[in-house]
Amino acid sequence: MNEQNDKKLSRRQLLVSAGKTGISIAAAGAASYLLYDAKGPKAGVEYKEHVILKNFSVQHRPDQTMSIAKGSDRAETLNKAIKLLGGIERFVRPGETVAIKPNVAFASPPMLGATANPELVAEVVRLCYSRGKAKKVIVTDNPINDPASCFALSGIGKAASAAGAKVVLPKAKFFKHTTLAGGTLIKDWPILFEPFAKVDKVIGIAPVKNHHRAGASMTMKNWYGLLGGRRNIFHQDINTIIAELAMMVRPTLVILDGTEVMMTNGPTGGSISDLRRANTLIASTDCVAADSYGCSLLDMKVSDLPYLAKAEKAGVGTTDYESLKPILATVS
Amino acid sequence: MGLVPYRARRLESVISICLLAVLFLIGVGVFIKQFDYNTNQYGIQQLGVSLISIGAGLVPTGFEMLSKVEVYNSENLYEKINGKAPLYIESGFKELSTQRFVNINDRSLWMELYTYDMGTVKNAFSVYSIQRRAGSEAFPPMQLGTPQSGNPFAYRTDNALYFVHGRYYIEIVGSSESGELFSAIAEVARKIQANLAAGLDASIAELAMFPQENLVPGSIKLYLVNAFGFEGLTNTFTAKYKSGNETVTAFLSKRADSKDAEVIAESYRSFLIENGAVIKNTTSKTIVGKVMDFYGTTEIVFTAGPFVAGIHEAENQQAAEKLAKILINKLNSLNNE
Repeated sequence: MNEQNDKKLSRRQLLVSAGKTGISIAAAGAASYLLYDAKGPKAGVEYKEHVILKNFSVQHRPDQTMSIAKGSDRAETLNKAIKLLGGIERFVRPGETVAIKPNVAFASPPMLGATANPELVAEVVRLCYSRGKAKKVIVTDNPINDPASCFALSGIGKAASAAGAKVVLPKAKFFKHTTLAGGTLIKDWPILFEPFAKVDKVIGIAPVKNHHRAGASMTMKNWYGLLGGRRNIFHQDINTIIAELAMMVRPTLVILDGTEVMMTNGPTGGSISDLRRANTLIASTDCVAADSYGCSLLDMKVSDLPYLAKAEKAGVGTTDYESLKPILATVS
Repeated sequence: MGLVPYRARRLESVISICLLAVLFLIGVGVFIKQFDYNTNQYGIQQLGVSLISIGAGLVPTGFEMLSKVEVYNSENLYEKINGKAPLYIESGFKELSTQRFVNINDRSLWMELYTYDMGTVKNAFSVYSIQRRAGSEAFPPMQLGTPQSGNPFAYRTDNALYFVHGRYYIEIVGSSESGELFSAIAEVARKIQANLAAGLDASIAELAMFPQENLVPGSIKLYLVNAFGFEGLTNTFTAKYKSGNETVTAFLSKRADSKDAEVIAESYRSFLIENGAVIKNTTSKTIVGKVMDFYGTTEIVFTAGPFVAGIHEAENQQAAEKLAKILINKLNSLNNE
């Protein structure tokens, strides 16, 4: 041993070391005390943070609630339908942030019509930027199964990005719990919230599809994509959950794409033979009215879809879409 | 206790730093590992039980795997097919394995293979038949599916191939109508047929119980539960027949015995009457009291030994009664064998 190793600690050094040790122990204890949850998690679910989606709707215009554009080119019918409602400027103001919620439920090629058409989504993004002068447009959905693949293989991710939108894939931290006032199913349930928390407007885009459980999947069913958790339990009461989703989400505008309609084997489809060309696109501020019209594209009646009457009863919109005097146009 | 020498304290510091470094590395390891968890515990498995034995052998020529095999059970099937999950689960679904393949030279050409293990050939036939696309083309070249005279249990559309392989119902869905892609789809189907053990010895006896004359090819469907919205009608086969310019639907359901068949038939007739049906007159003695008008369509419900059978929603009463008589005779002849 050399001289240095034999050196003894001075009293001062000892006190300093002891002091540091004491402070460390005290800090750890204090932190533990502050973080300690004496009650622990309760049985059932109780969360401190509950959220409510804000109302994104715009001022009602009696004669400009719903438009129906006929034509095979989605970009043209979209532009026409929105123009008939007063133009995108009515819905998106300069500097606003817009969230677009297309149906991206499956990792399915666009040709099969199981998801929103990517070119239609891209055209809405372009409109928001070019005419609406939006500051930012995001495109999001919660497909549950491999969202990245769903956005990639449906073509929506690439098309939306190319049009300038930010594609937001769902992450666990984006989900917050909500309870729908007057709801029976949406109680303390996680929803995809964060992407919608700071936006000014919300636009839903959905294809017209046959749906094995719900009868049909259109703009109201599209909000199912916001649900987190084991949302399949709601299949037991599909009509109520769709009606409650329509109560929960008050969008700025919905776009129902009936250019090609999935007539059979929905919601997944799988064959182009499941599709029928109807060359119809609906834009509306009333999702109940839009879906009620959409029934006709599926050779269904409004009464075939009980969720429409439930939503109407809840004051979401009207199934009597003709009373809204929808504006019709054909794009040659 | 004496004070610690400086060298010993330095050694302690080094050891402490090493321990902290180890703890840090463990933390990093846990952080990284959480993104590569054992998905078996959460429903999605890395390798499908049903496809694992075949492995990469399914990849068609000129293609490569685009995704790993994913496996879904009845708990998480909805994650893959959403609202269509109940159709499978109510039909005895066990497991779904999926995998995608992509063309090496043209990435726009890809396909997804869905292998539904339905437990029995009957369950597989049920989901196959219920979803069969009207007007689709039978796909007999490879005699896919359960061997059955005139019923290869396989059909194609422009972009996809659907078939029953023993207890499996299989869909191979292509991303386009490309002929090259469909050739690859057919190649995958052949490989499945050759390599996936499926218990092909099982057959569906009821298929041969329908009269063959005027039977629309590929029209037989099997509803395992809730046929025509009536809970009591389980295990019910339907078949379409040409009658002039019209189509008439016949059905049959084999029960435990003739007594059970009578009970179910009577319950179903009562169900129809409760929902608005009224008994119609008929000149045919064998079905007197069994012909009903249901909002302008004709319903006939009768029994033949252990079978509940009849005609469903026929536009034309005469055509319905004619087919009903043929079906009664056929079933009675089978009962007498």
